[in-house]
Amino acid sequence: MQRAFMGKLLEIAEKDSNVIEILADSGSNLDELFRRNFPGRLLNFGIAEQNAIGVSAGMAMSGFVPFVFLQGAFIAYRAMEFIRDDLCFHNANVKLIGQGSGLALSGLGPSHHTTEDIGVLRNLPGLCIISPATPIQVRECTEYIYGINGPCYMRIGMNGEHEYFDDDYSLPSCGFDIFGSGKKILIISTGSILEEVVPASDILNNHGIETTVINLFQIKPFNSSALLNKIEELSPEYIVTVEEHQVGSGIGNMLSDAIERAGKTYSIISIGFDDTFAKGYNETQHNVRVENEIDAEGIARRVENGYSKGI
Amino acid sequence: MQNCDDIILKNLRKRIFVTSVKRGAVHWASAYSSLEILYSLYVRGVLKIDKENLNDAARDRFVLSKGHAAIGMYAVMEYVGILEENEMETFLTPGTRLSAEPCKRDLPWVEASSGSLGHGLPIGLGMALSQKIKGSERKTYVLVGDGECQEGSVWEAAFAASAHKADNLTVILDCNGLQKMNSTEETMNTVNWRAKWEAFGWQVDEVDGHDVNALCRILGESNQKDRPRIVIAHTVKGHGVPTMENDASWHFKIPKKKEMQSICRELEITEEL
Repeated sequence: MQRAFMGKLLEIAEKDSNVIEILADSGSNLDELFRRNFPGRLLNFGIAEQNAIGVSAGMAMSGFVPFVFLQGAFIAYRAMEFIRDDLCFHNANVKLIGQGSGLALSGLGPSHHTTEDIGVLRNLPGLCIISPATPIQVRECTEYIYGINGPCYMRIGMNGEHEYFDDDYSLPSCGFDIFGSGKKILIISTGSILEEVVPASDILNNHGIETTVINLFQIKPFNSSALLNKIEELSPEYIVTVEEHQVGSGIGNMLSDAIERAGKTYSIISIGFDDTFAKGYNETQHNVRVENEIDAEGIARRVENGYSKGI
Repeated sequence: MQNCDDIILKNLRKRIFVTSVKRGAVHWASAYSSLEILYSLYVRGVLKIDKENLNDAARDRFVLSKGHAAIGMYAVMEYVGILEENEMETFLTPGTRLSAEPCKRDLPWVEASSGSLGHGLPIGLGMALSQKIKGSERKTYVLVGDGECQEGSVWEAAFAASAHKADNLTVILDCNGLQKMNSTEETMNTVNWRAKWEAFGWQVDEVDGHDVNALCRILGESNQKDRPRIVIAHTVKGHGVPTMENDASWHFKIPKKKEMQSICRELEITEEL
């Protein structure tokens, strides 16, 4: 996903000399490419995230379009007030790119897990939040947030995520993608965990539980009416939300809230972290997902259990 | 004999006090310690701005990081005509543009909204670096409080400004030695500002923060090459009103009847408050 982001950023920066990149000691070889291609337009502000966000606000107010590339955990938690006051209250045209979304930094433990970022940031007025699932979707979302005149946060993974889209994919305006057309179960997920959710739906389909998957990439503004219309059209027996995030403040909560406000009733199973940090430390994101039962088999098992018990 | 600056400043002090008291607002003591600094920037013309075109890209920038001195800035801006005539009367009334901390949303000439401390210097650094990248000769000034310098983000920006050679950035430190609850020294041992900032690679100048001519002279100077600069302005919280001077409690106190009488006498306010 980082490669897909940088590929698009280089393209944008080539066309728009106001585009700059800001790091807080947070880059990789890919960012060196940006430095080489655009001398003087990559600024590293060291291990100091609050200042990096504040500086980006000042540069946006001076006509630049800063892309701030940091670890999502350090953006959302450490620098939250700077995002609120400096970016949102000024409607500063800054693009925050949070790497390592969900459990991508699996072995580093909860300090580096970005499992509360949506909850923390979706409360902030005027902040657009995007959570793409695959490298091609990251590419398209990078172009999309560049086109928005205001603060945006895009959370991306970093572990060579599985691709589900063709090269000619373009973002649907409704804010989500649909896979399959099963009537019994609708799984809604966000971010790179799609690579567990699609195989989980295959397992369920093989077991005769027909499943549809929705990948919700636009978190905020949340196009709840389009999603509710689609849910009504599918009228599944169960809705399952899956996220590498706290269910109490992520898409599980967003969906329940939207359904309640619309006066609808659906049975919902929320899969994610329920007021707890992730268990386990492992070099691969998949193995930590296994430990927390949010890998393909774990998801399928939990859905089948709920389904058979009639929860 | 009082000179012209002194007469104007005395009237601005009255304006600040009367406006604040009418609205039950506080923070005028903080505004008084910064008043000559704001006056030097906007009235005496240290700041290169075009009052007819405040959006001009080729302007000096000023960020009021200690946002609670907003009422002092409003008094100065009303005097120079950037605020509407008598707009101070609307302070904290329904529909006003004038908050107790400055908001860019309502006042576009405010370079950056402030209120939470420790935000103005990072934003100002972003503005200064933008000016440098664009090849502008213009400068950025940021006014911070000495209590505010207890915020860690101030020092993140201090590192960064030095590393990025922001030699068009001048921080003005309103060094009044007091914060809300106590002296800055007793609260956080904030002594020896010169050594602290020099250790971060900054050029350090010092000035009497109530001497307008000295302020204009030093703020008008250019920085040493490649170095950000801090001007430590030695000030008195509540300056110009002996009843309030150097007393931390005036950070947020509403005067009682007797205190009100003393303050009004000292400010030569004759109207009934």
